[in-house]
Amino acid sequence: MFKYQFRWDTVLGSNFDFMMSGLQMTLMISASTLVLAMIAGLIIALLDMSRFPPARWIGVAFGEIIRNTPILVQLLWVYYVLPIVFSIRIESLTALIIGLSLYQGAFISEVYRSGIQGVPKGHKEAAQVLGLTPIQSFVRIVMPQAIRMTLPPLASNFVQLIKFSSLGAVISVSEITRRGMELSASNFRPLETFTFIAVVYFLICWPLAMAIRWWERRLQAR
Amino acid sequence: MTSIPIILAEGISKRFGENQVLTRVSLPVMERDVVCIVGPSGSGKTTLLRCLALLETPSEGRVVMEGTAISTPEQPKPVKAAARAVRSDIGMVFQHFNLWPHMSVLENLIEAPLRVKKMPRAEAVAIAEKLLVKVDLFDKRDAYPARLSGGQQQRVAIARALAMSPKVLLFDEATSALDPELRREVLLVMRQLATEGMTMLVVTHEMGFARHVGTRTVFMDRGEIVEEAPGAAFFDAPKTERARRFLQQFEE
Repeated sequence: MFKYQFRWDTVLGSNFDFMMSGLQMTLMISASTLVLAMIAGLIIALLDMSRFPPARWIGVAFGEIIRNTPILVQLLWVYYVLPIVFSIRIESLTALIIGLSLYQGAFISEVYRSGIQGVPKGHKEAAQVLGLTPIQSFVRIVMPQAIRMTLPPLASNFVQLIKFSSLGAVISVSEITRRGMELSASNFRPLETFTFIAVVYFLICWPLAMAIRWWERRLQAR
Repeated sequence: MTSIPIILAEGISKRFGENQVLTRVSLPVMERDVVCIVGPSGSGKTTLLRCLALLETPSEGRVVMEGTAISTPEQPKPVKAAARAVRSDIGMVFQHFNLWPHMSVLENLIEAPLRVKKMPRAEAVAIAEKLLVKVDLFDKRDAYPARLSGGQQQRVAIARALAMSPKVLLFDEATSALDPELRREVLLVMRQLATEGMTMLVVTHEMGFARHVGTRTVFMDRGEIVEEAPGAAFFDAPKTERARRFLQQFEE
């Protein structure tokens, strides 16, 4: 065993607030990305299920491209390529939120789709026979059931986003991972710094994941 | 009483791809009729019922409600409009109940009166409660469907259909998904409706119900009506060999 003198005060001491403001940024990114990804997912799902073939092709192509390329490459693409193509300046934070929203949106669209298609056909037929219009049937019968089925997967997406937001470090978004990289470059204490960060992620994600599992079981029991 | 059928299947054929499910089936249902359709599975009974419920479009022929065409193969605009106008006059009870699981029993019953008939809430609730008393489930008013037995769910489904005061009620094997001991409570409700003069078209495997409650029995096989007779007559003296063979399965 090597001899190592732990110096936890290098992260927990005067730099603690610096790290916590990074954590705040991480949570802000994850939360706002979840909202945007839910909207993006809805648009992709509607395109996918459209009666209009070109709309369907766009939806499917977009989903396939997003799901089959690495998220890191997508982020770099949004950050470095979009500004060239559209000759605009994109802040690294904006680029991260756009990239993550599109990525997660492609997965969330599948969640929506299985939620909507998971509602038994008979429930819609019952509505139809009773005279509800297709719109009433969707709003009153399909949506409430689909939403109930989609909530736990959406919450799991939030957990994923918390972890994925760490990729912002690569394009210098000052979330907690980036803060850690900066700190370890100045205190020369990577072991304490990155261990601390891992523990912070775990303490947030693990209870959330547990709560979601419990919630899913409860919904299934109903 | 008028001599125009409440609902009439007129020369209906239905094909699903290569598969011919119904072949020129004609069946009038008069007011207060309780027509029971029996026959082996795959004989097209359910498809015929679904055509009358406007859930399937016939490949040939048409569905006529009190003299007006409401479903034809091409579904032109006037036919569609006529269908919308009489939509809630045709009630249907499904084999798998199809109650909406996210709504309580009462909410299931008032949904269509509120949204389709634009009925005031108080009135819809009053009607729903009366119907729940009728099917003997008033105490389940605020329960969710998942908490009910199959028999109870089907009684709620019947009450839900009745809440729109339909002119004809279609039953698609309403007791087939139930355990034998739960069938009775549903059949009792159906029998009560028949005595009250409800016009009913019942696809069923319950020969006892067809014999004792039905005013007419229709025997279908391979997409055609093979035989038709008033209530018990069909069972006492089937005219065709196919009907005799079908009925033999139920004797032992």
